[in-house]
Order: sequence, then C-alpha cells, then structure tokens
Amino acid sequence: MNEIPLIFFLWVGAFLFATGLSIILIKRNVIFVLMGVELMLNAANLNLIAFSRGDEQNQGLMMGLFVLVIGVCEMSIALAIILQVYRRFKKIDIDQFQSRN
Amino acid sequence: MIMNSPLMIGFLALTFLTCGSAFFMLWTKNVLHAALAMFMTMLGLAGFYVLAFADVMAVSHLMIYVGGVLILILFGIMMTGHRTSKTGETNELFTEQKGKFWAFTIGLTVFFGLSWLMGQQHFYTFADVDQHSKLGQAGLSFMLEYSFPFELTGVFLLIALVGATYIAKNHE
Repeated sequence: MNEIPLIFFLWVGAFLFATGLSIILIKRNVIFVLMGVELMLNAANLNLIAFSRGDEQNQGLMMGLFVLVIGVCEMSIALAIILQVYRRFKKIDIDQFQSRN
Repeated sequence: MIMNSPLMIGFLALTFLTCGSAFFMLWTKNVLHAALAMFMTMLGLAGFYVLAFADVMAVSHLMIYVGGVLILILFGIMMTGHRTSKTGETNELFTEQKGKFWAFTIGLTVFFGLSWLMGQQHFYTFADVDQHSKLGQAGLSFMLEYSFPFELTGVFLLIALVGATYIAKNHE
C-alpha cells in the first residue's frame, strides 16, 4: 500500500472549493469571479479523479474529462459575454448592475 | 510509514504550491497577478492528477488550462482594461474588494464543514490501486461505452465556440 490516503485529496479539494467561493464573494471584477468559478470546478474535478483511483472502469476519470471540456465551453462563452458587456458599459464591475425596482 | 515516502513528500510540496497560489489569488487585488497565481494552481492540480495515477487527466488539464483558458483570461484582461492616459494614476488591473468579513467567514465555514463531513464518512475505496498508465483504457472507453457522450461533447464544444465567436463579434 504505497499510495496517498484518499482524505488528503479531499482536504485539498475542500480548500480549493472554499477559496474559490471566497473569491466569488469578495471580488468585484467579473474576470476575477470567473477565475473563482474555475477554481471550484477544478476542486470538484480533483475529487472525481481521487475517487476513481483503482476503478477498473475509470468512471471518475471519464467524468472528469467531460467536465474539463464543459468548463472550457463555459469559460469561452463567459469571456465573450464579458467582452460585450465591456463594449456597452465600459466597465466590468459587478456592483454596476443594479435593478431599478 | 507512508509519511516519509517520496510520494508523500511530493504530495506535500504540491499542496503548498496549489493551496499557496490559490490563497494568493484570494489575497491579491491585481488581476494579472491572480492570473499568474492561477497558472501555478493549475500546475499543482496537474501534479495531483499525476499522483492520483490519472496521467491522461494531467496532460489534458495542462494543455487545456495552461494553454487555452489562461490565454483566454489574459486576452480578457487585456481587452477590458481602460485606456488610461500615460500620466493617469488609475490602474484598472486593481479590483475592488467588498464584504471581506462575510467572504472569509463563509469560506472558512465551508472548508471546515466539508473537512468535518468527509472525516465522518467511511468511503469505500478500491483495494488495489492500478498504478499503470490509463491512456489506452481511456481511449477505448471513449470509443466504446462513452462514444455517445464523446460525440455530444464534441458537438457541444463546436456550438459553444461558434457561439462565443458570434457573441464576441462587434455588432454595429
């Protein structure tokens, strides 16, 4: 048994998830928030990979690869939308979007 | 016995790299520094995938995140910066932070809550970890039992990229 215990991977995943959540809450720049989302996505992905060690069917590994591709799709669309928002409002702060109620 | 094996030392070094740069992302206000810290975080994550014996995942993660997403983020930072005059003092790379107390409280609560929750569980783990390369198995799985999701993901990626190109176009 010369391998790393599962719980260590889970601790690292939990730390990355919490950091990503804090980044989303604390930062006012949309690109920063997007980076926090990526961090949370990768924390979840690390758990999938850590659980699929030794699985003969590699279910977690395949799921992780699909999650990776979907994350890239999300990232490209989000950056395109941010670019349009910048073109229209000349600013990408989160606080600038306020509803008129 | 496991604590002083070379695998464990590597794991600890990667933990310092990944968690340190993730925390730097939280701490810094400069978007460009955060992008560089995210690069280090992604390198550390690829190392974790190697240590979890998922080499396919490590290589694709490196290629996609370091080669693709990070360049995309850098382009986003470049194209959304204000064109300030050369003597202007304002630097748009610096971002505002608000609600530090609640963000840290919620983050710490989530971290300790998740750690406590995972410490309570008794996960079923596989008895013998296969330490060989999973490249061939992953390729076969893509072509056999995951062929439909594979095609679907490819079409989805194509649609997303075409849509992103259309959205980012200058509509005027």
